[in-house]
Amino acid sequence: MRFFLLVRVILQEIFDEAAYKRFCVKEGLGVGRESYAKFLAEGEKASQIKVRCC
Amino acid sequence: MNSVARFILWTVIAALGALALATIALHRHEQINALWLVTAAVCTYALGYRFYSAFIAAKVLALNPQRATPSERLENGRDFVPTNKWVVLGHHFAAIAGPGPLVGPVLAAQFGYLPGTLWILIGAVFGGCVQDFVILLFSVRRDGKSLTEMAKQEIGPLAGSVAYASVISILVILLAVCALVVVNALKQSPWGTFTIAMTIPIALLMGVYLRRLRPGRVLEVSAIGFVLVLAAIWGGQWVSQTPAIGKYFTMGAPALALAIIIYGFAASSLPVWLLLAPRDYLSTFVKLGTIALLAVGIAVMHPTLHMPALTKFVDGTGPVFAGKVFPFAFITIACGAISGFHALISSGTTPKLIRRETEIRLVGYGSMMAESMVAIMATVAACVLEPGTYFAINSPAGIAGQLPAVAASTISSWGFPVTAADMQSLAHMVGEQTLFNRTGGAPAFAVGMAHIFSRSLGGQAVMALWYHFALMFEALFILTVIDAGTRVGRFMIQDVLGHAWEPLGRTSWYPSVLATSALIVGGWGYFLWQGVRDPLGGINSLWPLFGIANQLLAGVALCVATTIIIKMHRAKYALVTLAPLAWLVIVTFTASWQKIFDPDPRIGFLAQAQRLAASGANPRLIFNNRLDAAVTGILIVMVTLILVESIRDWTGILSGRREATTKEAPMVTTRLAEERG
Repeated sequence: MRFFLLVRVILQEIFDEAAYKRFCVKEGLGVGRESYAKFLAEGEKASQIKVRCC
Repeated sequence: MNSVARFILWTVIAALGALALATIALHRHEQINALWLVTAAVCTYALGYRFYSAFIAAKVLALNPQRATPSERLENGRDFVPTNKWVVLGHHFAAIAGPGPLVGPVLAAQFGYLPGTLWILIGAVFGGCVQDFVILLFSVRRDGKSLTEMAKQEIGPLAGSVAYASVISILVILLAVCALVVVNALKQSPWGTFTIAMTIPIALLMGVYLRRLRPGRVLEVSAIGFVLVLAAIWGGQWVSQTPAIGKYFTMGAPALALAIIIYGFAASSLPVWLLLAPRDYLSTFVKLGTIALLAVGIAVMHPTLHMPALTKFVDGTGPVFAGKVFPFAFITIACGAISGFHALISSGTTPKLIRRETEIRLVGYGSMMAESMVAIMATVAACVLEPGTYFAINSPAGIAGQLPAVAASTISSWGFPVTAADMQSLAHMVGEQTLFNRTGGAPAFAVGMAHIFSRSLGGQAVMALWYHFALMFEALFILTVIDAGTRVGRFMIQDVLGHAWEPLGRTSWYPSVLATSALIVGGWGYFLWQGVRDPLGGINSLWPLFGIANQLLAGVALCVATTIIIKMHRAKYALVTLAPLAWLVIVTFTASWQKIFDPDPRIGFLAQAQRLAASGANPRLIFNNRLDAAVTGILIVMVTLILVESIRDWTGILSGRREATTKEAPMVTTRLAEERG
């Protein structure tokens, strides 16, 4: 059970779900279109494009 | 476990590893099982991790569990976040695992399975894993600074600027060769082209779904995207069997190259959320699942390797790419053993997530071990094929012959029997018109993977589906690298141009976005076009160029690492990074010299240009070969500059003429350690 929980947490981090949750907590926003748009805009402004290796 | 039991356990692992290595190294003229490769790899990694990485952690780097990491000191809830080590491991592996460890070992299999396997294991344990580990730690101790910033701070401004220019140049070559692999995999393949084309509307749909319908539900939409991709694979079969529609997806290499260039420009210019981010999620989802599936497939099916340990092509006459096993096996394997690109990730997002210094060993060293294991699996996928089949797929028409009967006869004359009828039957089985001259590594890997899976999961009836699944998986991987790489290159160019004129540096100013996107796409697009027009198939010249560039970037990373180790007053342990650096310098400088000056036109760019000029060939082809020679020369000069700067630094410090001051962030005791006692 603990293993599957860990896998879920890893996937949430890889797929940015955890980052979005942290953003909502930090900004005091609820989950929704507006907060997600802000989350995406902030990521784009910060030029935080993940480098993907060859 | 008590010390006696531990001693026995590690002795057994060492003995088993030695037996497996001896089996793969000493067996000649008889086939061996793929499990020997897997066993050798697992035992070697286990020993490397348990002993060598522990030695580096304790003696060389002196990891300090009491020292606060930037994720704790600079925590901002966005990029600096203390994160569970297993989560960071998964995150880091997802970023470093790309198409390189799949394609490189497949191409290097032309030498037989032995050279590639040995270099993947030795190179990873003593080179790649060490590089990723030390660069990650040094970046953590510098608040997550990038490789180029560390080069500037620790070696000097010249080294910083040269490292920056090297990264941009290497990026251009990397993107070109990645695009060429996709072009070669999809040319004249309506099924594959349709499937990959469908991933664009699927990604757009995912982007809109995430933004409008279910904000933030990335895993959910990735699963939906995956189901849609499977449907696209299924639909591709129908498209390929329906001439009226199939003709629109039956494209030659030039048309595909143009399509990818246009796509790269669009992906770089469109908002991230619309295309790039959803495609990245989809690709990661497929990537992690497929790698796991392949690992299970090889473990359960344990196929027999048909490729010999060594082929006659170790002498440099190979059809896949020209050049002797030394140095070309080492630069061809690339990411599976050591990749300079990993240093960019180890000094990018990952150091900002590390919770404790002691966890860097697992993340840095451990992730690269997993990447190396992927390379071993790719070697297995290539070597389960009959050698005749492998060479028929990977030999360019310019060498084997254009017509199937001629190509089959040429390949058989090399001592690897194959018939045109066998190849036609295999092509039919995987749903392709032909499998001759499908250079680039991706189709051979896809056939190998389909071969492994079709032995149990659905049998030969579904071999075509497995083949196209593998092809889709690789192309998706590669297009994600192209998306993200083009955008990263755009940001880097904007960063430089912004110093000349401020608006050019604004990432949201559209004229600058379009101009810099065009610049970076134009750069890799030119090399891609050159590869497509190359009569020897393009891979012969571009993959070695990519390998040289990638390994040179690793050389830059190891220069930075060695400098820091010496500045830390641990010069007696500097061999840990100096030895792989010396090896990379020998390999890449030899390969570069040969690629520029070798008198054999298949190897030397200048000899090829001369031959083309003598035969009155297209002046563009002649220019391209001279350009490749110039690019190789420029890369070598840039790395030589960094090397000379570094050596001056090392000798200055060791002779006491120069002060050894590192630019580490101040030591702050962690609260996490206090809380945990």
